Amino acid sequence: MRKVLWAITLNTFRETLRDKLLYSLVGFAVLVIAASLLAGSVSLGQDARVIQDFSLTAMLAFLLIITYFIGTQLVFKEVERKTIYLVLSKPVSRETFYLGKFLGLCLTILVAGLIMAVMFVIVLFAKTHSVPTAAYFAAGAVILEAWLLTAVSLLFSSFTSPLSSAIYTFGVTLIGHGSATVWLLSQKASPVIRTILEGVYYIFPNLEKFNLRNDVVFNLTPSASQVGLILLYFATYTVFLLILGVAVFRKDEF
Amino acid sequence: MLVIRNLTKQFYQRNEEITVVDNLSLTVKKGQVFGLIGPNGAGKTTTVKLVAGLLFPGKGKISIGGFPAGTLEAKRKIGFMNENPQFYYHLKAREVMEFVADLFEIEKTVATKKIDVLLKEVGLKDAKELAVRKFSKGMHQRLAFAVAQINNPELLILDEPLDGLDPLGRLDFKQMILKLKKSGATIFFSSHILSDVEEICDEVAILHKGKIIAQGSPKDLVKSSKQSLEELFVRSIRNA
Ligand SMILES: Nc1ncnc2c1ncn2[C@@H]1O[C@H](COP(=O)(O)OP(=O)(O)OP(=O)(O)O)[C@@H](O)[C@H]1O
Ligand SMILES: [Mg+2]
Repeated sequence: MRKVLWAITLNTFRETLRDKLLYSLVGFAVLVIAASLLAGSVSLGQDARVIQDFSLTAMLAFLLIITYFIGTQLVFKEVERKTIYLVLSKPVSRETFYLGKFLGLCLTILVAGLIMAVMFVIVLFAKTHSVPTAAYFAAGAVILEAWLLTAVSLLFSSFTSPLSSAIYTFGVTLIGHGSATVWLLSQKASPVIRTILEGVYYIFPNLEKFNLRNDVVFNLTPSASQVGLILLYFATYTVFLLILGVAVFRKDEF
Repeated sequence: MLVIRNLTKQFYQRNEEITVVDNLSLTVKKGQVFGLIGPNGAGKTTTVKLVAGLLFPGKGKISIGGFPAGTLEAKRKIGFMNENPQFYYHLKAREVMEFVADLFEIEKTVATKKIDVLLKEVGLKDAKELAVRKFSKGMHQRLAFAVAQINNPELLILDEPLDGLDPLGRLDFKQMILKLKKSGATIFFSSHILSDVEEICDEVAILHKGKIIAQGSPKDLVKSSKQSLEELFVRSIRNA
């Protein structure tokens, strides 16, 4: 089972590496992060702040684009190219296949994220000659968020087309970052709308939990319990999404 | 080895339910080469996919060596070659084989040897390190045949294995299948080309609109109906 899972994970990872889009996205992200050097020099005294905020946001945006475009295509491509027949007719459970696809793309995102993070650290160091510990945590949280949204995109793509899945996943991203707004709105709305909005608030992931950009700006290293809570939130949510996705995928026919 | 009982599969096409496999029963005994023949759209591929666990039966049961189709135990016993096989574009022939060997959890050293033997047997020795996206249709077919044998399957399931091959390729494939048969393999395969079936099979079933309309050894069928297999095929489908 472990060998099978690893084989599918690695194969998925290698397959995404053949996607030219991936290289353009990572390349572009690195350029954008490098460009924050220029932005930093415009605003006096705020160099570090601008670089950090700008770079981490760029990193998140580009990792999410990878998720939207590649994550929603993962299973679709296997069906389209009939390679799913090759795999699912072998002693591979649907669960293992689904999890392998997920882990494979997570690995891609990890590598892409690390490349971007290295650029970010270089730029930051070049400008300020110091890199706060908080910066590493913030970059890590960005990768966690992209992983969680990969599970979302895979869930959607198990029952709808890649394009729809990408749009829905984008929707989850927007709502997930507007959680606080959704909550505020719900408290002011009429009872029916309030219930709906509260439902949205509780069901959708609160992606702001992964936003440590302010901590970096104020150089606040997150505490162990804060990191633990973020990891727990990520793990709970992702496992729930994967279970839901597998439940749908188990019944799919090819 | 393979027992199918009252198998029924329905699909929805434009909100209409169509029955593609209709109360089908058949048995493939150990060591037998069984040919499922039928015109386009008869339900051959659907039947084969049900056996491989890619589709789920609507009604009925499929058992492979005692295990229900689709379970890991059943899938461990089969080698499956689907219609118009394709592979991951980013892999070489050897890597495709290694990937599938991993899915069967075959030990690396054992797999490496087996891969060499199989690729040689199907005539892809020189294409071992070639990316499969550069393969011709016939080469895809050959690779698929090799892949289907990586686990020394108790039951080999082939969907139109000779489709799209040139005359030499067909001859090659028939000889490979006959060689496997001699070594005692159990083979279940589909085709719409009668001459192939006649030469290779111990038993054939003619499938039409999801139903078996004639079954027996090719010789018996020809003898009892006093017509060639081709005539029998055409006539039974017209009369059905
Ligand atoms: N997923 C599906 N959804 C709806 N209808 C389907 C599906 N798969 C197959 N069918 C229908 O089932 C029927 C039988 O298809 P099948 O592929 O089993 O035929 P076949 O005997 O393999 O034909 P061929 O010789 O052309 O390969 C066809 O009418 C086809 O349109
Ligand atoms: Mg077919």
